[in-house]
Amino acid sequence: MTSYIVGYTIIILIVLFIVFCVLVKRRVLFANTPSMQKIFAHPLLFYSFRRLGSALISLILAILVTFFLIRLATPADNTCYKLFYDPKISELVYNLRCDNWKENMGFSGTMLQQLINYFYAILPFPKTLCVTEINVDLGMYTITGCRNFIFDFGRIYKLAGFTDGGFVWDYILPRMGVSFEIGIIAVVLELALGYPFGILMAKYENGWFDRIGKAYIISVDAIPGIAYYYIWLALLCSVFMLPMTYDADNFLSWLPAILTMAFTGMAGIGLWVRRYMVDEFNADYVKFARSKGLSESRILWVHILRNAVVPLVRTFPSAVIGALLGTYYLENIYGIPGIGQAVMVAINSNNSSLLSGIIIISALLSILSYLLGDIVTALCDPRISFTKE
Amino acid sequence: MSEDENKENQQLETPVATPEVKEAKKEEKQQIIYAPGRKKQRQKKAKKEKKIILGDKSYTEEDLFSTFEEDPRMASTVSVDSTIDANLDDLFKVVGTNEENIEQLDAVPYSYWRMTFSYLFKKPMAIISVVIIVLIILLAIFGPMIHSYDPILVSHGTVLRNPDGVFTDELVGGYLGPNSKYWFGLCGSNMGTWFEGTDMWTDVWLGTRLSLVLGTVVALIEVVVGIIIGALWGYIRWLDPILIEVRNFINNIPEILLDILLMQFFTPYMADYGFWIIVLLLSMFSWIGLAGFVRNQIIIIRNREYNIASQTMGTNTVNMITHNLLPYLISVIVTDISTAIPAAISAEVGLSFFNLSFNIADGDITLGQVLTQAVNGTAFLSHPYLLLGPFIVIIPLTVGFFYLGLALSDATDPRTHR
Repeated sequence: MTSYIVGYTIIILIVLFIVFCVLVKRRVLFANTPSMQKIFAHPLLFYSFRRLGSALISLILAILVTFFLIRLATPADNTCYKLFYDPKISELVYNLRCDNWKENMGFSGTMLQQLINYFYAILPFPKTLCVTEINVDLGMYTITGCRNFIFDFGRIYKLAGFTDGGFVWDYILPRMGVSFEIGIIAVVLELALGYPFGILMAKYENGWFDRIGKAYIISVDAIPGIAYYYIWLALLCSVFMLPMTYDADNFLSWLPAILTMAFTGMAGIGLWVRRYMVDEFNADYVKFARSKGLSESRILWVHILRNAVVPLVRTFPSAVIGALLGTYYLENIYGIPGIGQAVMVAINSNNSSLLSGIIIISALLSILSYLLGDIVTALCDPRISFTKE
Repeated sequence: MSEDENKENQQLETPVATPEVKEAKKEEKQQIIYAPGRKKQRQKKAKKEKKIILGDKSYTEEDLFSTFEEDPRMASTVSVDSTIDANLDDLFKVVGTNEENIEQLDAVPYSYWRMTFSYLFKKPMAIISVVIIVLIILLAIFGPMIHSYDPILVSHGTVLRNPDGVFTDELVGGYLGPNSKYWFGLCGSNMGTWFEGTDMWTDVWLGTRLSLVLGTVVALIEVVVGIIIGALWGYIRWLDPILIEVRNFINNIPEILLDILLMQFFTPYMADYGFWIIVLLLSMFSWIGLAGFVRNQIIIIRNREYNIASQTMGTNTVNMITHNLLPYLISVIVTDISTAIPAAISAEVGLSFFNLSFNIADGDITLGQVLTQAVNGTAFLSHPYLLLGPFIVIIPLTVGFFYLGLALSDATDPRTHR
């Protein structure tokens, strides 16, 4: 009961907030209070609303396409066969189990009904979903369990070593945590390494550091990722003797993945920082600052850097949120139980609900990261305004 | 003139609305009808006063067709110095005409492609890249013939067979480091896969063949499709919102997942149409990046004056794009072809990592497959020479194409041709 109350109040609060903002902007409420106007009718707020609206449309499109592709690629009957076929049981029992399983997983009915059921389960409002288990061994009896959800991605079923009846969300969440831990350290490290790298390359343009840096960036860009990761594996694990498999307790075993990600990302960041800084070297304000007598070091680190960083701030939220999504290759190589590995597991065991859930989460996170990137750019750059004029 | 000046000075000094000022303002209002909505009023007035309308303003015939000298209003400003007129004959003498010199050009003859290549081959990195690429292509064509062992046949037991089907006398198999006979070593049995005692040299060069062909085809498709769609996207206004939605959609879905799903559809067809299926998978989403970039460039240049002039003179869309807009982008196009090839090779390596690429049993092998099989399991930790062959090919090939692309982007830019 409490989850119903909590869920519905949150939804009502969000709707009321949007209505309030619209009314304040239309000057129905608080028409003469400039402070309220500034907060609740800020153009950035309305830009976010508009972007969220269009992002919702793309998200729905993405969900529809993946839903149909997955349902068509892995038909439920094949999986049913793999799960339940046993020459010893009768056909009636097989059909019963198959139908029950399909109903629990959401595969029963026509495509349209399945779609409606899936959207009903996904949409974040409080509801109760029930699952029926049929047990045939000791006579026929059914157990029905109901649970309150805000949103439900479905259940994982028993195949290739899963315990039956787990929920997708419970499976994904700890894995996202692991990916995020490793990813966020890698992001911080690559920013800390990449910016000095790019700045020094720009400062001594066409010097020896610039040439070496450019060669490094090209090698990271051109060489296929897997070959590159194996080179780093050989370097880190054979030369520096770091452990090769991930172990949650041993921080040294986290290092190969973190260092590989950091040194790969450093190249991309260094390239763009260098490019934007070199563009600023011919700007008028630099010449003016020089003529006023500021030292070159101060011009570089204080004035040019601030102008060069403005277009780069857009990528911070994508990097942070991308840490949540992990990388397939590295998790496979080092055996990290992250969300990238969950994708491979989902495909190999034909768990379509797990796959759908991961795709929806990653689409949602990427939309959010684009929006946050634009907002952060708007906050850092006073020249941008999102009003219609 | 002095009276007008006095009146103006009076108006400036006394801003009070005297009756004279009010009358003057009313007269002004009656004479000036600038608003767009008052077009009919202007036309009527112009007809009354027999004036010609151009745009917002109306002119008398005198204004338009009188020459500078005859206009009496301009008399005070024109100061014709009669002495200059008289000296014109002394300053300039007619020398005569020469029919040949009319056709002669004094500028240096300029050929775009010649300048591009001469600029390109002055850079040492570009020359090294071209040499490496040519060397790898030659080895890919002639390499497998050096050792005439069929690389994909399973050796039952530990014997290598040659393509004639005749068993050799040697019992070779398992893992073998690079030696004088097998320059890249042998890859041993890997839990019953097809790599039992196979020759890495032949494998690598056969893989390079297919990888290069695949990469070139995918790069060409991606560049052609990307540029056409990007040009149309930038030039035709109503396509803009539609294609932006398409780009958001493509960026939201992780590509690997779609590749995996599509491969589950296409697995029965891999034996016959394997090449084109992989081409489809690799080029499915890669054109959107180039299309977006081209669209941005075209939006920048479509409002330039030469384009507006062409449009006003009635050029149709296709000719506008091919004659005005695309030649501006030639350096982008050339650079992108040469960086799309290593990108396609890397993407194929990524696909084979997930076992989505060609089926080795059908006889198709790519560099990605060689690499994947070499790192499968933990065998390569104790036999690191397995990675030697693929790396010797992949790294110079991809880095070479990349350097060539960067050098070409500078060389094909006409602004650097001075």
